[in-house]
Amino acid sequence: MPTGNRSEGEAPISVSILRQGSYLIASVYAALDDDELGRFQRELIRQIMAFRSRGVIIDVAALDVMDSFGSRSLRDLAHMTRLQGAITVIVGIHPDVAFAMVQLGMDLGNVRTELGLEEGLVLLDDLTGGGRLSPVSRSR
Amino acid sequence: MESPAEQDASTDHEQLLPELVAHLRSSRTQLRQEWANRITGASLLSSMTPQEIFSEATSVYDNYVEVLETGSVEALQHYAQNLSERIIPRGVETHEVVGIVLLLRDVLARSLFEKYHSDFALLNRILDAYEPAANRIANTVSVSFVQERERVIRQQQDSIRELSTPVLQVRERLLILPIIGVLDAQRARQLTEQLLSGIRAHRAKVVVVDITGVPDVDVSVANHLVQTVDASRLMGAGVIITGLSSKIAQTLVRIGVDLSKVNTVGDLQGGIEEAERLLGFTVRRAADADRQQE
Amino acid sequence: MGGSEPANGQVHGALQVHGTLVELTPLIRGVIAARMRDPGVVDDLVQETLARVMTTASRLDDGALAPYAVVVARNLVNQQWRTEERARRHAHRFLDPAEPHRPEDDVLRLEENQAVTSALARLSQGERQTLLAHELEGRATAEMAAESGSTTGAVAAQLHRTRAKLRVEYLLALEQSRLPSHRCRPVLLALSGGDRRRQRELDAAGHLLECQFCSQLSGPLLDRLQADNDDEEALLPIQSDKDVVVARQRGREIAAQIGFSPTDLTLIATAISEIARNAVRFADRGQMRIRTIEGSARRGVVIVARDRGPGIPDVQRALEDGYSTYGGMGLGLPGASRLMDELHIVSELGKGTTITMTKWCTDP
Repeated sequence: MPTGNRSEGEAPISVSILRQGSYLIASVYAALDDDELGRFQRELIRQIMAFRSRGVIIDVAALDVMDSFGSRSLRDLAHMTRLQGAITVIVGIHPDVAFAMVQLGMDLGNVRTELGLEEGLVLLDDLTGGGRLSPVSRSR
Repeated sequence: MESPAEQDASTDHEQLLPELVAHLRSSRTQLRQEWANRITGASLLSSMTPQEIFSEATSVYDNYVEVLETGSVEALQHYAQNLSERIIPRGVETHEVVGIVLLLRDVLARSLFEKYHSDFALLNRILDAYEPAANRIANTVSVSFVQERERVIRQQQDSIRELSTPVLQVRERLLILPIIGVLDAQRARQLTEQLLSGIRAHRAKVVVVDITGVPDVDVSVANHLVQTVDASRLMGAGVIITGLSSKIAQTLVRIGVDLSKVNTVGDLQGGIEEAERLLGFTVRRAADADRQQE
Repeated sequence: MGGSEPANGQVHGALQVHGTLVELTPLIRGVIAARMRDPGVVDDLVQETLARVMTTASRLDDGALAPYAVVVARNLVNQQWRTEERARRHAHRFLDPAEPHRPEDDVLRLEENQAVTSALARLSQGERQTLLAHELEGRATAEMAAESGSTTGAVAAQLHRTRAKLRVEYLLALEQSRLPSHRCRPVLLALSGGDRRRQRELDAAGHLLECQFCSQLSGPLLDRLQADNDDEEALLPIQSDKDVVVARQRGREIAAQIGFSPTDLTLIATAISEIARNAVRFADRGQMRIRTIEGSARRGVVIVARDRGPGIPDVQRALEDGYSTYGGMGLGLPGASRLMDELHIVSELGKGTTITMTKWCTDP
């Protein structure tokens, strides 16, 4: 179900956040500027806290450019969600974009990446112990 | 240069070239026919039909006169490149192209001679103005042709390269990229692009890059290998490098590549086993998780 | 082989041009400062001159750079004078916003029409017909080639030549003056057609310095040359993050027109993004010009980013990894230079920065 990621009086931003079990799936549709990024971060953190999410997938398949600003923002975002107890996986980096990122000399540090949404969910299950379907199976 | 001063010579050319151009324009039909005949007579462009030769001869002739008129060869360059693109696949050789341009130069020179032979001084001045321009045209056409030929050869090399670096899918989610032969920067780049799009197309989790067949790498290629590993990782695929010779390993270490970040296994067989272990590990964990749900 | 250079020679070439431009800066400043009083205006004109010289550098013989820079500087100064003079004369008009029609506009329009007509008359009949059929009736070159028993390449080549000639004739008609010497026309044609070898043969550089007339015409001629293909050039303001996104999209579109691979397009767009962001961060605002260039042996895309920010204190260090003044990863400039084939920077502290970067299409 799509959750409103806009507050009163603010323009809509190009991100949708969906909740699936104890995971949040955020799809970025277009490049975000500073302001949009800030609001996206706040909204994501708010939802992680509200739903006690344990995993976040950020889908960037729609982005055709990832510059150092964009990568840094994603990395910061992943670190921030980690502090809230949720693991972030970034999925959907396009081959050309991946190539440009390494040519530019950027990396995402120890942030996990996966090919697509499906793989991202499998990885989150793996890392959180199947949190998607049964949030209590943590003690495995 | 026999003329008293260079300045005078160039003034002379400025005045004579328009006359020259006018003559070549008015004798267009006759001269280009003669030229086409001489091309056929000399068995040049034998792979083309007389109609084709006549049509190209017309274009070259008009371009030729234009260059004499404007002094700019850029347009001729464009045309020559275009012409070369069309005739190279048909097996036209460099000597044929040089041959036809020189024939045109001679056909025109002869016609100038016929027109002006009564006034020997004028003829000399006309030829002085004509020759440098004509040589420049011949040079332009030949150079364009040779450049285009080189480009075609490069293109063929590229397609051979493409064939020699196949991305193989061994099993679901596992790709193998056996690299054989010398890696230069261009080939390394191409390889990376192929691998990355292969990862996406086959939804690969693990890639085994086997470089047993690579004799040596230089610094830029080594860096490229590392970048390939990083880019694959960004797409969610792990890379295992096999067949790393001690020589290449030394190069990597010398340029400061942290080999601990790169997963290396001795030979291809070992690499595939390691890959299957990685894949199986994921599968087993998922299966465990499912069982737990029931 | 004439014209084609090995790939690794490009870096050297880039440094050379960069070096030359740095050496040119005092010369340009000298020319302008001798004519203008306001130091702010001098700075502006120096930057403007550098930017113009940079964007035209690839079309000029190396030896012609310095003379061309001097000519550009002089022209800009003249233009500035004219603008100021006109502003003074028309100052009262600003008080009267409801003046819809100015008679001198009509005169200007009429002059322009006459100039076009007389320029067209100077073309040969064949040239005129081809040009009009293509430009006005929108006929495709292939179609025209088939009709005249010629080839597409030949028609395109003829069009290129005719346009170069028309530009020269138009400007001459507009100035309503005769050429002062017999050397002028060939020089102007060589400049208009972007034919570097011919420029060298004619010593176009030397002529530009001597001939007041040609030096004045060279500006509009070369500017017009760049504006020749509207869809292959963009001039974009860079003031906000939104502009960054627009710039990289335009860059991708423009580069795609000359056949870059998808991967290269992404590299170019990423480099544009880095540079444009720098301009937004450091200078608040700037502008970016993106255009394609065509050399005799290769094609490429050139991006010129200018800002009037604080400038870069140490250009050499700014190109090293890890150097950054705003707590970022410091990848902007060195990263962009890795993505492109050439990147040069001209920066003056407190005045602004101009970055020119080029990528060549590997498979023309």
